[in-house]
Amino acid sequence: MESLSQKLTVLKKILCQAYHEKENINVGDQWQLNVMRRIRNLGPVQSGPSFFVLFEQFVWRLTPATCLLIIIGAIIFLKLGFFPDYDVFTLFINDTEELSLAQLF
Amino acid sequence: MQNHPSRPSDAEIIRRIIDGDVNSFEYLLKKYQDHVLRIVTKHIPHNEVEETAHNVFVRAYQALPGFKEQGSFKQWLSSIAVRTCYDFWRKQYRSRELPMSYLSERHRDWLEKTLSNESDLSFSEKSRAREAGELLEWALSKLSAKDRMVLELVYLEGFSVKEAADLLALSVSNVKVRSFRSRKKLEKILIALIST
Repeated sequence: MESLSQKLTVLKKILCQAYHEKENINVGDQWQLNVMRRIRNLGPVQSGPSFFVLFEQFVWRLTPATCLLIIIGAIIFLKLGFFPDYDVFTLFINDTEELSLAQLF
Repeated sequence: MQNHPSRPSDAEIIRRIIDGDVNSFEYLLKKYQDHVLRIVTKHIPHNEVEETAHNVFVRAYQALPGFKEQGSFKQWLSSIAVRTCYDFWRKQYRSRELPMSYLSERHRDWLEKTLSNESDLSFSEKSRAREAGELLEWALSKLSAKDRMVLELVYLEGFSVKEAADLLALSVSNVKVRSFRSRKKLEKILIALIST
């Protein structure tokens, strides 16, 4: 009895040969006509890049600048201590007589 | 090679199409349909070949403005054909509409006879048997679309890793790793089949 590896080698050779034995298909004139009909329905091709392609290129080009702006903005907010909720809360705690919650809204 | 004076070059035809002469595409269709059909027949089941080849030419037409005249149109079209076949298998794999999910008794009998030397058929007769093609299809259908295409191009058709990478628009290292893994996967499938 042949070993497993020998069987595998034989099977691989047969399957490899079977792959190359695939017969070519000949298409008729009707197939050509169908392709050309579809092409004509699509109309002339656009010679330049489409609006979406240009828009995509534009957006990606601006990405580094946008990221930089976001980082700078975040740093500025942190430096200025822009915490509106915290400021209102501090004001409310420290000056209860002058400021009621109703005045805030 | 010099072009025949009466026959326009591919580049000239492409320029005409881009300038709006849609009918000139028929020249490219007639010239390259056999080439495209040969590629598609290798990768796609027979009943899907016509539709897939149709899609190849439609995709090529739509992508014509992106064709760079320095390269060969035939090579560019081959790449579109291979990628269309890859997309076909990707869709099939996603929807799990595999052509054959199990093997019949007929296939198992054929396999047993073929491997146990009981068969009187020659090697070429064995490989020409319908069961061989169906068994191959069954084994390949177990692989993902990318693995399948890489395996077919590198191991079955003999393309270099670089050529396969160009055709599939993948990196060389990706194809190298994938071709090794997919071959191992296929071997596992075949070993499991022989062992049962």
